[in-house]
Amino acid sequence: MNVLVLSGYGINCENETLHAFEVVGFKGKIVHINDLIQNPKQLNNYQVFAIPGGFSYGDDTGSGNAMAKKILTNLYDQLIDFSLKDKLIIGICNGCQILINLGLVPSLNKKDPEVAMIENKSGSYECRWVDVKVNNNKSPWLKNISILNLPVAHQEGQFMIPINLLKSIKANNLIGLQYINNHKKLAKGQFPFNPNGSKDDIAALTNQNGNVLAMMPHPERAFYHYHVPNWQNNTSKKFGDGYKIFMNAKKFFA
Amino acid sequence: MTNTIQILSIEKTGKESSLQKEHNNKSIKIIDGYFFSRNLDDQKFTKISKLISNDVSQTILTKKNVKKVLSSYSNFNWVVEIKFLPGVTDNIATTVKEVIKDNLKSSFRSFELGSTKIILIKGRKEDITKISKNEANPLIQTIKIYPFKQYLNNFKKNQFKIEKVKLPKKKYSKKEINLDISDHQLSLIGKLGIEENDKSRRGTLGLDLESLKVIRNYFSTIKRKPTDVEIETLAQTWSEHCKHKIFSAKIDDIQEGIFKKYIKGATEKIIQLRKDNFCVSLFTDNAGGIEFNKDWIICHKVETHNTPSALDPFGGAITGIVGVNRDCLGFGKGAKPIANTYAYYLANPNKNYQLYRQKNNKDPMLPANFIAKGIISGVRVGGNCSGIPTPQGNVYFDDRFAGKPLVFCGTVGIIPKKIKGKLSHKKKANPGDIILMAGGRVGKDGIHGATFSSEELDPNSPVSAVQIGDPITQKKMSDVIIRELRDENLYSSITDNGAGGLSSSIGEMAKESGGFIVNLEKVPLKYNGLYPWEIWVSESQERMTLAVPPANVKKVINRFNARGVEATIIGKFIKKEKAIVKYNKTEILNLDMEFLHEGYPKLNLKTSFPKIKKEKKKIIKKNSLIVKLHKLLSSPNIVSKEFIATQYDHEVQSTSIIKPLQGEGRVFGNATAIKPLFDDEKSIALSQAAYPQYAETNSYDMAGCSIDTAYKNLIVSGANSKKIAILDNFCWCSSDEPDRLYQLKEAAKACYDYAVAYQTPFISGKDSMFNDFKGFDKTGKSVKISIPPTLLISSIGVVDKISHLTKMTPDDGDILLVLGNTRNELQDSVYSKIIGYEKSKNPVVNSKDALRTYRNFEKANKLGIINSAIGIDLGGIGIAVTKMAISSKKGLTIDLKLKNKISVDQFLFSESQSRILVSMKKNKLANFKKIFKGSDYTIIGKCTGLDIVEFKDNKKIIRGKISDFAKSYKKNIKGL
Repeated sequence: MNVLVLSGYGINCENETLHAFEVVGFKGKIVHINDLIQNPKQLNNYQVFAIPGGFSYGDDTGSGNAMAKKILTNLYDQLIDFSLKDKLIIGICNGCQILINLGLVPSLNKKDPEVAMIENKSGSYECRWVDVKVNNNKSPWLKNISILNLPVAHQEGQFMIPINLLKSIKANNLIGLQYINNHKKLAKGQFPFNPNGSKDDIAALTNQNGNVLAMMPHPERAFYHYHVPNWQNNTSKKFGDGYKIFMNAKKFFA
Repeated sequence: MTNTIQILSIEKTGKESSLQKEHNNKSIKIIDGYFFSRNLDDQKFTKISKLISNDVSQTILTKKNVKKVLSSYSNFNWVVEIKFLPGVTDNIATTVKEVIKDNLKSSFRSFELGSTKIILIKGRKEDITKISKNEANPLIQTIKIYPFKQYLNNFKKNQFKIEKVKLPKKKYSKKEINLDISDHQLSLIGKLGIEENDKSRRGTLGLDLESLKVIRNYFSTIKRKPTDVEIETLAQTWSEHCKHKIFSAKIDDIQEGIFKKYIKGATEKIIQLRKDNFCVSLFTDNAGGIEFNKDWIICHKVETHNTPSALDPFGGAITGIVGVNRDCLGFGKGAKPIANTYAYYLANPNKNYQLYRQKNNKDPMLPANFIAKGIISGVRVGGNCSGIPTPQGNVYFDDRFAGKPLVFCGTVGIIPKKIKGKLSHKKKANPGDIILMAGGRVGKDGIHGATFSSEELDPNSPVSAVQIGDPITQKKMSDVIIRELRDENLYSSITDNGAGGLSSSIGEMAKESGGFIVNLEKVPLKYNGLYPWEIWVSESQERMTLAVPPANVKKVINRFNARGVEATIIGKFIKKEKAIVKYNKTEILNLDMEFLHEGYPKLNLKTSFPKIKKEKKKIIKKNSLIVKLHKLLSSPNIVSKEFIATQYDHEVQSTSIIKPLQGEGRVFGNATAIKPLFDDEKSIALSQAAYPQYAETNSYDMAGCSIDTAYKNLIVSGANSKKIAILDNFCWCSSDEPDRLYQLKEAAKACYDYAVAYQTPFISGKDSMFNDFKGFDKTGKSVKISIPPTLLISSIGVVDKISHLTKMTPDDGDILLVLGNTRNELQDSVYSKIIGYEKSKNPVVNSKDALRTYRNFEKANKLGIINSAIGIDLGGIGIAVTKMAISSKKGLTIDLKLKNKISVDQFLFSESQSRILVSMKKNKLANFKKIFKGSDYTIIGKCTGLDIVEFKDNKKIIRGKISDFAKSYKKNIKGL
């Protein structure tokens, strides 16, 4: 099991993302996007393609847009090909924004992006812990998960989805994660439970196969128990909730 | 054909909502504009628009649709167009250019473009003017206000214009400066700069008459006239900013100066006493380094960026944070930045100070809230975009920062002890090594920054002193250095380009080899037309200078280029102790290295005892205890700084282990911790402290309090007391006045006394000596506003085990204790400011008593006796208790009977130092008492788990709801 973790141009969570994959049993490598463009065939050696969080191109022209355009020009066919195989793709935070801008998720009409990531309703950057739940999604990334406590850290985390598309997204169960409140009910847009005002409290989307997951929260930052706020009150577990996402990737190939 | 692409968001953006709210106007829309230097044909327009916009969320305005699209939002009637002035860093434009080049390849080349923010409103001209004042800074941006009709007309007629840098294309010819002139003429050169042929002046050199005379003598000895480049270089190198002349001057009878005697002196004494390997690299490098574990070193550096932040708060702050990141990159062979810290000392953002740099209400200071907001966002963008967590910081407000805000930016870095078998903190540029400049290009930005930050802010302060950071360019460069070049040992030395630019970085590095030869025409420029002296001293950001053995140069350049980073050979290091600069083969600088670095005249300072300004008596308000608590909790210096903590990414790198917001009730903590390595449970605890409010009463005690608090916060967090180091950042005022120098000397003396007592070496420091504003108020009266002397002590410590890390949340049934002694020390306290002044003393640190408390606490904590703990500082026990309750959402009961000879208010609000509020399980009390035998502590109450905090005063019980306290504590700061 091999994971390729993308880097370059302001992506910045590659080390911790690779570490999380390695702990659950993957072998992996951080590959600079320019090296991947030089030699796209190396993708054949990998089963998982991960785009970590960060600030590619400083979010200029919209978060994830400039990097998505670079991939679109240079690597798009190879990535589509990867997504059509029995392989996994994950985009976390900035990686999520890139996947959305590429249209790899939800990918209901192919090619053009159908969803946009826009600025948080609060107008400010939000670095905080949230609870999300999995709702009837068949993605291997989310198997056997009900609720996760994870941090978000973004300026543009609001999913903007045209009404008709939202209907088909729901019909196809492509909503991966939704923000919930302190009573484990949907946040219904209420801040800070829903940190960005995302419609239907959407925190993650998948494609139809479920093998591509675009999520705004950071599972790699909730990997060990001591990552979780106020962990001193609960030291019995070794891992935080983020661990489950990476374990699911491992189980998929096991 | 069109020369502009303008994009608007279909739905209301967060930014639009906040603007609408702020200005109480529902008809505000923001457009992202891009103005091109060339016309785009329809095909290119479509292609490029698609590249830089999003079909789903945005609409592209065209000549055809603009009127219709905009009228669907409102009947706009005014427009403001905000663009960067030519030559100011425009990061968005850089990205757009890169995207276009990457996608259209050769089909669209050689164009210029600028990003523009266009704001449309329905309202009056006054409204749009007010908005423009809040959204733009005339120092770096052009602001055009015009009617909406004209906007539509501009669209129709392609009249959006980009402004290019226009520089004289005169060919450079070597300029020699005649110094055989009158003293008056000579001092004009120092104050206003070198005179150009057209009689204009270049801007202050910050050189005093004496220095200029020393320069004149040097050149008369070598029998030639100096060049302009030589004088500029000497001004940079000898600036207060670079040489710290005041700290190294003879002061009264202290021959060696206060730095050598008190700061370095303390560290040397400690090293002599300790005999361990804790101190690795001190004072000599860009940052100070200590041992983290057997394989790793951590380094820490804190810088100030006060003057730039007063002129351009966003640019000043972002440059401050990415600049200090480079100090880490330039530590040893290059440390990876793993945490940022910040501390802001600001004027009241809700007050309109109306200060002007010139008479007749001309050249106004920026409004206090604009400065505060700009600084906070600058560090946000700098830190977040660089992928470096920013967990630790604080903000303090006082009117005396109205003329100059203080912006402290710090970075912690980590580096393996050995790289390919060689010690990583040692570096040496060898003769023959190539001088390589990597990263961004050079423009006119920041010219005269170093000389100017050493001078008071006055009407002649140059505007080109402003720079804007580009964190993404720096991130790309940093990744190559840390991940690819360093561990292969491909270069022999490295340093950053900060103040003074190349003149400073190369000048410093060349001390390692002997000297240098630089060919300035090789330096890549942002635009043509810079004069050699400008290239040499420019402070354009995001650049590192490397010394690379010739055999590795090709490899190193290729690595940089493959990651989209520019790297250029600009000269070489030589053995001969000469500094030589050429421009197109003409030699324009040739100085002895010894004169360059040590030739400056040493100062001889005298101090005198200052007149102590007593606090004005204020009648104590007869409020109930609960009201007093609410007033203090919601006062700006105690109220939660959560709104900053949540906009600074403190989770990136997955190292955050003690977060800035603590407990379920999210209280802003005094210290934070990160766990930097995946395979070692050791953590780094960080804190900082400054007490400008105590300074005028007694600067010795003020410094003692700062060190004690910064140290105490780490002890409370669980750090190993033997592994704590501190950093000093002195921000002073009027440092040419004997009474200010007296305060400085006293503070420095306290630094020695307390650092030696606590065994905490100073590992790095910086000073900024003239934080004064000279200008006019709104009536035209001349005013001088000086900051209160401010000493920021930053502390960094190693926590050996995760289990040593403490929390501030008690559990039901815990008993509460105050460790340390509470005295009547309310002078200059938050209480005296908010509630009223009563006869009292200023807080004084007794290091012996303090150390006993700290050692015992450490022991008890390691044995698991302590359940929760919080350092007691501003607002005293009263505030510490309520913070504990807010954080845990658990009620506490406090017995005021135990206050011991002082009044209730003195007991609850005194700011006596070296105290810790702790809680523990009842059954641990016996063990606790054994450890604390003979040391001061008071059992003050217990944790009830109810939803109230109650104070029992004899038979009277005073209660307050935790949720009400939390509301006061989380109140918004007005104006922010």
